[in-house]
Amino acid sequence: MRKELIISLVLLAGTISLYLSLSLMEDPRAATFPKVIILIMGVLSMTLLFQSVITGPKKGRPGLQSDRVSAEKASASKIYFPYGILVGCFILIVIYFAVMEWLGFYVSAFLFFVAVTFLLGRKDLSVRKGGMRVGIALIFTTILFVLFNKLLVVQTPKGLFF
Amino acid sequence: MAEFFEYLPLALTFTNLLTLILGVIGGLILGATPGLSPTMAVALLVPFTFHMDPTTGLILLGAVYTATVAGGAISAILINIPGAPANIATLLDGHPMAQQGRSQTALYTCFISSLVGGLFGMLIMILFTPPLARIALKFGPSEMFWIAIFGITVMAGLSSGSITKGLIGGMFGLLISTIGYSPLLGVPRFVFHDVLTGGVAIVPALIGLFAIPQVFSLVEKLDMHIERPEYKPEKGVLLRTFVDNLKMVKALGIGSVVGSIIGIIPGAGGQVAGLIAYDQIRKFSKKPESFGTGNPEGVAAAESANNAMVGPSLIPLLTLSIPGSPTAAVLLGGLLIHGLFPGPDLFLNNAPVTYAFIGSLVLAQLAMCIFGLAMSRYSYMVMSVPNLFMIAAVTVLAVYGTYSVQNSFDDVIVMFCLGSLMYIGNKFGFSAAPVVLGIILGPIAEDNFLKGKLIADTDVGAFSYFFNGPMNIIIILLCAASIGYSIYGEIKAFKKAKEQTT
Repeated sequence: MRKELIISLVLLAGTISLYLSLSLMEDPRAATFPKVIILIMGVLSMTLLFQSVITGPKKGRPGLQSDRVSAEKASASKIYFPYGILVGCFILIVIYFAVMEWLGFYVSAFLFFVAVTFLLGRKDLSVRKGGMRVGIALIFTTILFVLFNKLLVVQTPKGLFF
Repeated sequence: MAEFFEYLPLALTFTNLLTLILGVIGGLILGATPGLSPTMAVALLVPFTFHMDPTTGLILLGAVYTATVAGGAISAILINIPGAPANIATLLDGHPMAQQGRSQTALYTCFISSLVGGLFGMLIMILFTPPLARIALKFGPSEMFWIAIFGITVMAGLSSGSITKGLIGGMFGLLISTIGYSPLLGVPRFVFHDVLTGGVAIVPALIGLFAIPQVFSLVEKLDMHIERPEYKPEKGVLLRTFVDNLKMVKALGIGSVVGSIIGIIPGAGGQVAGLIAYDQIRKFSKKPESFGTGNPEGVAAAESANNAMVGPSLIPLLTLSIPGSPTAAVLLGGLLIHGLFPGPDLFLNNAPVTYAFIGSLVLAQLAMCIFGLAMSRYSYMVMSVPNLFMIAAVTVLAVYGTYSVQNSFDDVIVMFCLGSLMYIGNKFGFSAAPVVLGIILGPIAEDNFLKGKLIADTDVGAFSYFFNGPMNIIIILLCAASIGYSIYGEIKAFKKAKEQTT
């Protein structure tokens, strides 16, 4: 229920700030359609808030179907949720984007592939498995390069190499 | 029907046939891969079709759509994880068959019954799509506006546990579609950063919303252990299964009819089709207790139903822009990036592409059966691919697909931001399909809303224009019924849970 309350309050705050930003538009006529959408979103956010407060689970009372689904997922994920790995993956993706224009698409894709497979499979990493992962990354990026760069001539960020 | 046969040869050119076969093989592999949803598979492919001829591109998307639905049954049968929601009913008898050492029979039954259902569904599609398109020709701006809203209400009810959250997702999608310059007045709207100047294009949104959350959820499930029953190839199984399938007239008949009816109803989807067909064949069977223990009739009914759904689910999509499933919503994005707008225009001005696409879907059903049967023996190999390679490959393909459409790095940033936001949204019970549909239908809704408003201001007024007329009232009632049905379902589930707790 707390989760539902938080999300409905966040949505309501977002809706209000978007509504206020409509006044900044150069021509008010351009805001007609977004205004209707934002108003409906506001009503729906209020409904969600109402649902979370009134119909939310309280001591033995069942919540909405979605609440229960979230609760089940939450209880299942409480066993083990890999926050560290998720954050690590997120950071790797950001680094991949940051270096893509500098190193080029194919080189950065290869390095990202290797880095991700090493990070996610670090528990059972051995020289043989490491070599296999590098090999698979190489094959994967080579196929991409031949198929898209040579055959279909699709443009990708060039960078330092190709 | 005459146009169908006139333009069918377009689907039979060497390039298009090769594309179709590759699409079917790829679709079967993607469908069989646990963790990769068919919706995400089609979403990842959309940008690659951008560089192709529209007919070839659509044939590829249609082939992948058809094959992923059937391919999803492979993982349902072998490892008890449905590759797609449409395959939920398949695992009820398919997996027990695999546990009994009859994986091959289960897979062969699945592909043969998929072909029967799929062809039946395609026939329904060919017969009903053109007449419906002619009706849609009479729609004005107000009707088209309500049709767009109806599409969002349908998807909101379909893909979320809560209709409120589904509708919020749809409205969020509509708002995203307004980012950038106003099409009518050329004024910037919600451009909070330079990256958003050009608005949010369909492809980055599709890929971001479907692929990135999937990447993160694969990371979550990295240590999940999956039990894989042994695959034992036997001689003569194909012929025996084929003969057995011919005897399952009742199961195939129920599956094909139920699947086609459910497919036409926008939003009902293959999951419902498979489960209803399974339930019906069990009720009509002389041995209902044998279901759930490895009865091939259960597999045949479920698989013929979910494949029969594919063709009819495209009827509302091609005629009214209302996708019947999240994958169909992605397919709608594929049509739009090729400049093809669903509706009567599709059949009048783009008849060759449209009918070639429909024809290719029939061929895809045949190819799906042939290659499905041939690949069954190797299907377990697909499921042995570790998730960490999937994560890396999907991310690289997502970035590549996004960038390649407009050669824009801004699109990649938009894709990743939307995807990360959707991942958090998923944790709060929101799903991607209504958001995507909001983004796709947003321009149609806004354009027709503003056109309608202009007409209304010079004539009868906005209220009378948008809320009068038989078609407007019918579509508004359908919107209300769609929302009402979802609310009824939620209340019913709430009461059931209450009874269980007391």
